Amino acid sequence: MRSELDMIVGGVRPLERPEAHTIEAPGKSGEGTFTGELTKALGEVDKLQVDADQQAKMVAEGGGNLHEMSLALEKADISMRLAMKVRNKLVDAYNEIMRMSV
Amino acid sequence: MDFFTALRVSGSGLSAERTRVNLASSNLANAETTRGPDGQPYKRLDPVFQAVAMEGANATPGAPGEKPMGVEVSQVVADQTPGKRVYSPGHPDADADGFVTFPNVNPVNEVVNLLSASRGYEANATAVETLKQMAQRGLDISR
Repeated sequence: MRSELDMIVGGVRPLERPEAHTIEAPGKSGEGTFTGELTKALGEVDKLQVDADQQAKMVAEGGGNLHEMSLALEKADISMRLAMKVRNKLVDAYNEIMRMSV
Repeated sequence: MDFFTALRVSGSGLSAERTRVNLASSNLANAETTRGPDGQPYKRLDPVFQAVAMEGANATPGAPGEKPMGVEVSQVVADQTPGKRVYSPGHPDADADGFVTFPNVNPVNEVVNLLSASRGYEANATAVETLKQMAQRGLDISR
């Protein structure tokens, strides 16, 4: 009886674990993590905004020069649009996942 | 971002052309100036342009000497050709013989210079405009 049970149990192979993907722990602001890169990119966008602000202020105060200001505004505009694109894609992806019926 | 390299290059072009406009208008304004800060008649000024390496241009592929380059005004030189001499003994700046030396500025040349500088400015501004449209078009792909 015992041996029969052993046979049956021995015939049942343990479930093989699928190879676990190594996913970087989120929340770390270290190099290479998605959050870290995103924060860095947003920092750069912010820097360009501040730069454009300063240029506009300088022109308003009579200093600076016009085309440098326009270029700074343009840079700020383009980078902001890019940031918005990334944000919209992220939100879309999030909504898509939340709609998923489990 | 490599996208901004062209913006910086065009920006340097805009600055250089503006300097050229500044000098051309200075020449025009002083076309009849017989006395400068040094007591001598005004001499027409010319900018000398020089290609300079741009920061961020390293992302563009190519040999080290074949990267996009900006432009800057390396120096401003005073034209040393003698100005025309006009006999006018009553003039305060007349020399011992009664001749007044006028600047070596030819207004016609300066206006042509001005036009050329203004067109150059426009060309650089158009390059910026094109770049902006390209950036927006590129972002519109993922709409």
